[in-house]
Amino acid sequence: MSTEIGVWIAALLTLAIYSFLYKDNPFYKVAENIFVGVSAGYWAVILWFNYAWPNLFEPLIMRGSVIYLIPIIVGLMMFAPLIPRVSWLIRIPLTFTMGVAMALVILQRIQGEIFPQLQATFLPLSGVSPMQLISNLLIIFGVLSTLVYFYFSKAHRGVLGVFAKLGIWFMMVAFGASFGYTVMARISLLIGRVYFLLHNWLQLI
Amino acid sequence: MKFFDRLEKIDRRIIFFLVGLAVIIPLIIPLGLPVDITGPVQDVFDRVEELPEGSIVVVSCDYDPGSEAELSPATAAFLEHCFRKNLRVYMMGLWPAGPELGNLALESIAPTYGKVYGVDYINIGYRPGGPVMLVSLGRDFTDLVRADYAGVPIDSFPLGRAVKSARDIDLVMTLSAGDPGVLHWIIYFSARYGTEIATATTAIMAPQQYPYLSSGQLIGLLGGLKGAAEYETLVDKKARAVAGMDSQSIVHLLLVVFIVIGNIILLYQKRRK
Repeated sequence: MSTEIGVWIAALLTLAIYSFLYKDNPFYKVAENIFVGVSAGYWAVILWFNYAWPNLFEPLIMRGSVIYLIPIIVGLMMFAPLIPRVSWLIRIPLTFTMGVAMALVILQRIQGEIFPQLQATFLPLSGVSPMQLISNLLIIFGVLSTLVYFYFSKAHRGVLGVFAKLGIWFMMVAFGASFGYTVMARISLLIGRVYFLLHNWLQLI
Repeated sequence: MKFFDRLEKIDRRIIFFLVGLAVIIPLIIPLGLPVDITGPVQDVFDRVEELPEGSIVVVSCDYDPGSEAELSPATAAFLEHCFRKNLRVYMMGLWPAGPELGNLALESIAPTYGKVYGVDYINIGYRPGGPVMLVSLGRDFTDLVRADYAGVPIDSFPLGRAVKSARDIDLVMTLSAGDPGVLHWIIYFSARYGTEIATATTAIMAPQQYPYLSSGQLIGLLGGLKGAAEYETLVDKKARAVAGMDSQSIVHLLLVVFIVIGNIILLYQKRRK
């Protein structure tokens, strides 16, 4: 059994959290509240030392760069709705944030996601092995039929209806795969905790 | 049928207990079930094998303790491979706790290969700023990275100035648990600078990565604990991930049984009505 205090604290908190599986109890509540408190403190420190201090207050206070007063003033405008008379001021920081985000995101999303993903559906149907042909057809029909399902300007009847139904099937397969992976992820986390208890704490394995 | 009626009203704590047993027993008494290697994991391994000695690999630990169980084994297995191949490692993270967790693996693995901090590997710590930071990092590393994770000036290390821009990076391995993570590396770094990206993700995120594998935007993928177990097998260093695979398989089997039983009860109820 471990002699490290940190391992003991982690092990007891783990057991306290898992005790909820039996029923709600004071041990669980204590662990839950510790988690909430520690998280809040942790993020406060992270935000101060990684964002506010190095990017704003350090240059302003230590280096005397008064230009940094501008972001402080613009940042304070985010709290303008608290004073109804000047609540309109919030539009300034919001507009600035939206402008920067759009400039950054739209261009890069088109260049880095939409075009390459479109390109990846232009697949050869000749000169490939039979397995590759099946794979390519699945991708092409999967993309087209799923897009057809989300085309709502025409009733899903006839050929369009058949394609839309095929799209549903493709999506169902995708949801099934996602569900399977989700189960795997949750069990992996449980394995990680149990491994910690058996290996690091009890030292049985 | 009384049996089905009883099953329908089964106390869910019995199911929790059975799942618990299915996890604990195989960990104490390993079954040694085989771990098959999948294509995306083999691709990551092969790419690392192809890299010449001294190549620079950025290992971005974009996760926190919540996903440590899935991604720390992958971090360890990947670092093992990098050091064995004499590659130089730049560790960093888009999540605050990531580089600290990655450092645990660095500190335990690097000395076993005689690697020296600042010469063969370096940890430049948490890099806040998401997309904006990645775009800047790729353009001018030196402008953005001035100190390592402990605050020591980067210039004081021989490896400190080996990377000036994205052009000097041979491969990025992002161990990703969400946002910011692998998608940011693909969109804001790889698409802009052409750097190759490999990833190890949590199992929940893994299906979303297949379109990027298919388009060639990712060179390979380690999906969840299973991906880590495959990589441990490939580098012949079976550890935590492989140990967990027996439990994973047994629990999955148990869940399949539960789903089948649940559906039989549903059919029985429908017929009764």
